[in-house]
Amino acid sequence: MTAVTAGTARRRTPSIRRRNRVVRPLQYVALAAYVVFLGFPLLFLLTTSFKSSRELLAPNPTLLPQSLDLSNFGQAIQQANLLQSGLNSVIVAVSTTIVVTVISLPAAYALARFRSRIRSAATGWILLSQVFPFILVIIPLFLVLKQVGLVDSLVGLVLVYTVWSLPFTLWMLQGHVASIPVDLEEAGATDGAGRLRVLVSIVLPLLGPGLVATSLFTFISAWNEFFFALVLIQNPALQTLPLSLARFVGSEGQVQLGQLAAGALLATLPSLLFFVLIQRRLTSGLLSGAVKG
Amino acid sequence: MTAVTEAPLADTAQRKPGPQRPKRSRQRRAQARETWLLLLPALIPVALLSVYPLVQGIALGFTNAQAGLNQVVSFNGLQNYVDLLGNSLFWSSFRIGAVWAISVTLLQFLAALGLALLLNLKLRGRWLARTLALVPWAIPPVTIAIMWRLILNPDYGPVNQILGFLGLPSDINWLGSFAIALPTVIVVGVWSGMPQTTITLLAGLQNISGELHEAAEIDGAGTWQRFLHVTLPGLQPVIIAITTLDLIWNFNSFALVYVLTAGGPGGQTMLPMLFAYNEAFRYGDFGSAAAMGNVMVVIISVFLVLYLRAQARAKRA
Amino acid sequence: MSIRTTPVARRTVLGGAVLAASAGLLSACAFNSGGSTPQASSGKKVTLTFQSLAFQATTIAAVKKIVTSWNASHPDIQIDLRQGSWDNVHDQLVTQFQGGTAPDIIHDEAADITGFAEQGYLADLKPYLSSSVQQAVPAGIWKAVTVNGKIVAAPTLLQTYVVFANKKAFADAGVSMPTGDSMTWDRFRSIAKQLTKNGKYGVGWGLSQPAATVLSTSLNYGGTWFTGTGKDAQIQIGANELKVPETIQAMARTDRSIAPTSITQSGSDALPGFFGGKYAMYVGGNYVAQQITQSGPKGFEWDVLPPLAGSAGTAQAADPQTMSVSATSKAQQQAAQFIDYFMSATNQAALAQGDWLIPASEPAQQEVLKETGGKDGWEQTIASGKGLTAAPFQTATNYPQWKDQYATPLLQKYFAGSITTDQLKSQLTAGWQSVNK
Repeated sequence: MTAVTAGTARRRTPSIRRRNRVVRPLQYVALAAYVVFLGFPLLFLLTTSFKSSRELLAPNPTLLPQSLDLSNFGQAIQQANLLQSGLNSVIVAVSTTIVVTVISLPAAYALARFRSRIRSAATGWILLSQVFPFILVIIPLFLVLKQVGLVDSLVGLVLVYTVWSLPFTLWMLQGHVASIPVDLEEAGATDGAGRLRVLVSIVLPLLGPGLVATSLFTFISAWNEFFFALVLIQNPALQTLPLSLARFVGSEGQVQLGQLAAGALLATLPSLLFFVLIQRRLTSGLLSGAVKG
Repeated sequence: MTAVTEAPLADTAQRKPGPQRPKRSRQRRAQARETWLLLLPALIPVALLSVYPLVQGIALGFTNAQAGLNQVVSFNGLQNYVDLLGNSLFWSSFRIGAVWAISVTLLQFLAALGLALLLNLKLRGRWLARTLALVPWAIPPVTIAIMWRLILNPDYGPVNQILGFLGLPSDINWLGSFAIALPTVIVVGVWSGMPQTTITLLAGLQNISGELHEAAEIDGAGTWQRFLHVTLPGLQPVIIAITTLDLIWNFNSFALVYVLTAGGPGGQTMLPMLFAYNEAFRYGDFGSAAAMGNVMVVIISVFLVLYLRAQARAKRA
Repeated sequence: MSIRTTPVARRTVLGGAVLAASAGLLSACAFNSGGSTPQASSGKKVTLTFQSLAFQATTIAAVKKIVTSWNASHPDIQIDLRQGSWDNVHDQLVTQFQGGTAPDIIHDEAADITGFAEQGYLADLKPYLSSSVQQAVPAGIWKAVTVNGKIVAAPTLLQTYVVFANKKAFADAGVSMPTGDSMTWDRFRSIAKQLTKNGKYGVGWGLSQPAATVLSTSLNYGGTWFTGTGKDAQIQIGANELKVPETIQAMARTDRSIAPTSITQSGSDALPGFFGGKYAMYVGGNYVAQQITQSGPKGFEWDVLPPLAGSAGTAQAADPQTMSVSATSKAQQQAAQFIDYFMSATNQAALAQGDWLIPASEPAQQEVLKETGGKDGWEQTIASGKGLTAAPFQTATNYPQWKDQYATPLLQKYFAGSITTDQLKSQLTAGWQSVNK
């Protein structure tokens, strides 16, 4: 079931080729099944968001909407306050990404280059931070933020997201740093350049794909996060998208299926587009980071 | 963490041994200083907003902290844990959490492995599957939950409509009936966690050298045998890493089920995190909620140690 | 992500946990609950936050209008209106009180706030509310918002559970719509049975949160479920209490006249099925009328059937929406002043019409009748409010937890036919004993 290079293909025996005639279609059937399982929910969300409420309640529904009804989007934006919360989400996710990238870059470098007990401690912490359930953290965290007046504020949320997406980002990024040959740096260092200069002028440019992957990871984690926002953000004007959507479900949304679908779709669109645009670079970045960690 | 300077062995990974000892030790001290400087911007926020609250949270599990104006908090030793022992609802939520985490992780792994193997082949149209495999990751869990609520809607959702079209029972309330809610939520959990698992396994597959496969093929090994003797052993480290992480993530997950069912119907999908959240933020028992968190950590840790040890033993054998 | 890291990780996980736990013991005393002491500040300009839970477009507009007119005439007491949500109001308030970020003016419902009042989070409004407001609301309803002798909220709007009917479905099935002052449960059951045919059901009833419905309508038979108040409340389940659950169970299991999917849905989840004609009747709070007019398909003809009645008449529990002042508010008096204004007959009448609910204030009820001429079912709606009285479960401190952890799942199991009436009774009782320790 693995990729066969052109060379071996020519050397194949007839029996293998015959078996391939059976196996290959089966593989396509399996792939199609995956495409349906993964893609159908999205397709359904898309078509539902364009259906008028009358069509949604019709006894014999069709997959594609009979007429494109855009009113769901307008109403969802208004009812669920999506513009305001979308803006909040963008602010939080972008700030988190910037802060995380800036502080994790030097740290990742240190972890990758200086193998010491710090490295073991950091790796331990990274795993540990995954094990602990948020419930244990949230109450004291809430009180810490309260003392500095950052409860119910986007700045507080950015700080929390920064800290909690840092471990994983750091782990991935140091994998990428480790894959850059040390010789390149040493050439720069002998010129008398300081460590920071080396970092900025030699390591940074080589980290391109890795940085794209890790910053996308941070962005999406912050964009998607729900639990901390649920507890920390109380002012409706500061709600992020997941929060206002969850509250929309609890009120009007259950009756207005079309609006709910439209709102959910709108909330996903930015990260989805972003994602599809840089998907190719992302995959390669993630792949190398994942394996070399 | 002050042990850095006393770590002569671990430090040499990147450096060739030099002849002059005093110079090396000076170098090392300078390097340690540098390491700290580089790490500092990351360490400070982590210490303040993650280590400190965590330590406090653990301690909170040994107190009687409760909601209320000007409440006095005092240590009550193991009282919270004694109470938890007798709390059958907590243990049933733990059982549900275990069923959820293990089934989601296992099914996710099998589904993702199948997909990764397919994506590793040169099939036409695999770009579509590859993009779709990543997409759930870009969707907030809240949106995923809303989407599946619409799909599973007993009256107007396509799942029941398709079943009705096929002449099967079409009035199943997937998320609302006692027997089916948990399995349904597990399927949604598998869907939403596919990307990370698939991409990691794909990375592992691409790392297995093609030569091994060719050699096996020339030896006359069939597809299945090559999978068993070349692919699986080569993937083992990646498999262990990703299933471990998946297991932890799934056990601690919150948003998806919070929006899908909020623990209902009748507590059938009350994952431990939801239960502890309610204990703290609905009933105001902060001490007892933190104690639940502590129990969760201990149990996950024990489980992980057993799992990893079993894997290590399997590897040696 | 290599396996090499795992031995280190293992050591750190366990070692770290032990270390953290011991370090934590020393510093845990830093944990303390929030809240600053209130200060009286008069004369200076104050801005008060008001968290409203109004969710229907018409009511949101009515609230905004009240706040705007208040702000225009009270430059020294400005109200900052915030939108909350019924869905998670309890968790949100717990968090806000704890973090000291609670709004000054709090909108909630009577059955939900007893615990907050006992924790000391709600101010006593007795000294602040004007006598006209105190007299406008009947004593029975004040009882629902009185905790330990303190008035912890002003009661605003009341709901009753009513039966909505799809006129066309009745006509199609050849069943005549019941009329009169009330409809007995037996009559309701037999109508539902007649309407159940040709793949359609008599009733759609979203019972995923059945506790409030069951406990409230149990008063039809004089079933009070609890005696006593606060922490001393005792559960009491006898024949009267079990009458309503038994009837619902018989309709669901024996007659199969309640659409099975709806039983496990929430009230609003079950509403599209009513619109779509899957069932001829729908049971819900009377506020649903607003959703039907707003979201129902065009030309959907509906009516409200006479109130359900048992051996003790049409009584239901009065669980009013409430307006409270946070005990940590720095301007309690000014906040109460706004509530006093909010309670005026004109304002309450406007809100009631927005939500299709019954104002607790009697002058406001008159106002609604005058403004609507009693049309669109308003006469029946206001009349049904007369049967509302405070029920003991509302002032039982641990009712919310018992409801979540025991009443909801057990009633659901009972309606699904997986436990017997005796098991329901004994497990509900045991549940109360474990929650109310």
